[in-house]
Amino acid sequence: MKWLMLFTLLSTSSVMAKPLHETYLEKKYYYSALNEFFFETYNKPITEKVVNKLEEILFFTGVEILEDYDEDLLLKYPSSSIRFILGRKYYQRGHTKKALKYLENIHPKHRYFPEGKMVEAQVYFKMGDKSKEESAVTKCVKSAAVLEGEAANEKIARYYKMIEEVCLINAARNSFTRGEYSQALTNYEKIPKTSYKWPYVLLEKAWVHYQLKDYNRALGLLSTYKSPLLDTYFFPEAEYLSALAYFRLCLYDDSLIILNEYYQSYRPRFAQLHKVLSSHKNSKVFFYDALVDDAEGFNSNEEFVKKIFTRLKKQIRFSLDSNTIYKLNREINQIHAKEPKETQLELMPHLADVRENIKTKINYNAKKDIFDFLQTVPLYSAELFKLNLEIVSRQRDLLYKSSQLTTDKKKRTRGEFSNVKRSSIEHFWKFEGEFWADELGDYSLGLKSNCAEVKIEEK
Amino acid sequence: MKIVLLILQLAFIESAFGEEKVIYEYKKYEKFDLGNLEVQGELIAPGDISVRERDRKKFNLDFYERKDFSSFVKQDIEAFR
Repeated sequence: MKWLMLFTLLSTSSVMAKPLHETYLEKKYYYSALNEFFFETYNKPITEKVVNKLEEILFFTGVEILEDYDEDLLLKYPSSSIRFILGRKYYQRGHTKKALKYLENIHPKHRYFPEGKMVEAQVYFKMGDKSKEESAVTKCVKSAAVLEGEAANEKIARYYKMIEEVCLINAARNSFTRGEYSQALTNYEKIPKTSYKWPYVLLEKAWVHYQLKDYNRALGLLSTYKSPLLDTYFFPEAEYLSALAYFRLCLYDDSLIILNEYYQSYRPRFAQLHKVLSSHKNSKVFFYDALVDDAEGFNSNEEFVKKIFTRLKKQIRFSLDSNTIYKLNREINQIHAKEPKETQLELMPHLADVRENIKTKINYNAKKDIFDFLQTVPLYSAELFKLNLEIVSRQRDLLYKSSQLTTDKKKRTRGEFSNVKRSSIEHFWKFEGEFWADELGDYSLGLKSNCAEVKIEEK
Repeated sequence: MKIVLLILQLAFIESAFGEEKVIYEYKKYEKFDLGNLEVQGELIAPGDISVRERDRKKFNLDFYERKDFSSFVKQDIEAFR
């Protein structure tokens, strides 16, 4: 009898000992397991075993899902994933010391270590600590390269490649802010043309060359955006910088051509974009649907809007969030098919909420990105208008002084090789009316500055 | 007597309402000898007519030039999650 009682007790305790989150984990209900895990552990001592279990579950769910959980709850778990999420959050709120407290303690072998170092480098940049910033960048680049090599699939490898590149680009940007233009260019040059970030880098490199007063190289880089390969990339800032570079070379007519093109061609496109988006600004699904359905709902005259959405879809964030929705749908379908009604009623509301939150997040982020882009338009439109005024004013002054700029329009050529500045590692290609993929990003104009004045001789 | 008064009254009314023709005649020719003209007073103006030169207003507007890429850094970090 005693043996029977002992056996009953042992069998009960073994059932009791297996937490529900373990059961869900075995059945591959990862999102349900995570939620159950927090319920079962939040008011108990957090041991290393508990932390390891959390890491195991987060490996399958990703950390995006943690956005839904209370910060005080997350603070109880000293895991690298949680440290990464909290450090990133504090960085975004501008709490540098708190951000460092978490970011510096991410385990070097952890999968979020490179991304953590990427954020950490920016924290040190904000604090003005250049040596620690550079050290964080080096660690970011090295660890991302290692994890890229060990990646289980192409998507994960792409994620680490992107981390590596963004670390280098941020280092270049920080050098630019400090006025270290050569150092900035060295880091920008490390970004290959095959990179998703490369089209964005062109504009930034053009600014560096502008600050170095190499207006020809800046103009050459910006001309790359006219290539059909880059037709989804349009930045008002690039148009403005082109007009400004021509202006600095006193090539006022060229500046005016850019200005007219902007007003005639691009402004109507922005108006079109603004119109489409304003009518859906309160929608909770429009931007999500446009991204997921490949922007099929747009008319043929809204091609520009479609291109913007295509650009947004290339973001890592969209890829991760879409993947989360895919995995959530799979879990929901499995529970629906395999579990009894009671379990379904217990798990489904949470999963449906999580899925809805992710969709809302995608919708919000897309809306924010597009409106942020649209908000830059008035600034550059106003600057272009000022530039127009200044050009008209200078041309009028020349007329009153009976002067003209050195280069006679009729005699003017489109540049000479002697006006092209280039370093030993920079290529030089002559533009002959066609864009070639291997030449993109290496163009430089060879225009002579037209700023000296000569008196017009009386006939 | 009454007849005399009536005649005087009529004469007065006629003179009051009647229009007198006034003919103005201008001189058809007049000669001025400018050389002999003298103006009394002191010369206080400069000897020749001059206009003071003034500079034309120059705009020289300040144009926006990027000094940092902080907004791009923020966007890129947020683009991961």
